[in-house]
Amino acid sequence: MATSTYLSNPGVQINSISMTDQCTSATVTNTAEALESTAFGGTSRVFVSGLFNQEITLDLYMSYAASETYATLAALVGTTTTVKVSNTVAGLTTPSATEPCFTLTGAYLEALPVINATMGELSTISITFKGGVLTTAVS
Amino acid sequence: MTYRIVSPRIGTPGDKFEPEAGVNVEALLLHGFIVEDKAPPKSAKTITNNPKD
Repeated sequence: MATSTYLSNPGVQINSISMTDQCTSATVTNTAEALESTAFGGTSRVFVSGLFNQEITLDLYMSYAASETYATLAALVGTTTTVKVSNTVAGLTTPSATEPCFTLTGAYLEALPVINATMGELSTISITFKGGVLTTAVS
Repeated sequence: MTYRIVSPRIGTPGDKFEPEAGVNVEALLLHGFIVEDKAPPKSAKTITNNPKD
């Protein structure tokens, strides 16, 4: 039985800044683009690997206080940076086989929702870092 | 250029900050997460005016 339940452990670091206490969701996707190589004579579609295309999507509480979400992200729009995600906070600094650290270097932040306001709710934003090189550290 | 940590979100304030590959240092400086380490000013040189005969 393979299950992973996340309560408060995952660690998130954006541009060296810990955003663990503002993050509610993190998805790291490692994609190898599929190039079709089906040829005459084939009866099923066949694909080969193209370029790798990585993505990290994070849901964060928005805060305009010093050293918080807005201050961390505002200057990163249109630039590249390094984003780290691990299933534990300890994994960010001391990764292991059971606490791997996924690092996206050269991750591009295309868009930042600067305000997402709804009456009576905590403001949250969803951001996506695209591209870059994904490495997995297990030691 | 060396940097020092200001925000505890990065590490212990006052410690030296060594950016990892790909880290956007300008963004960290802009919002005060780190500061540049200023080199200590050089001591003023005293010029003695001793004309030799």
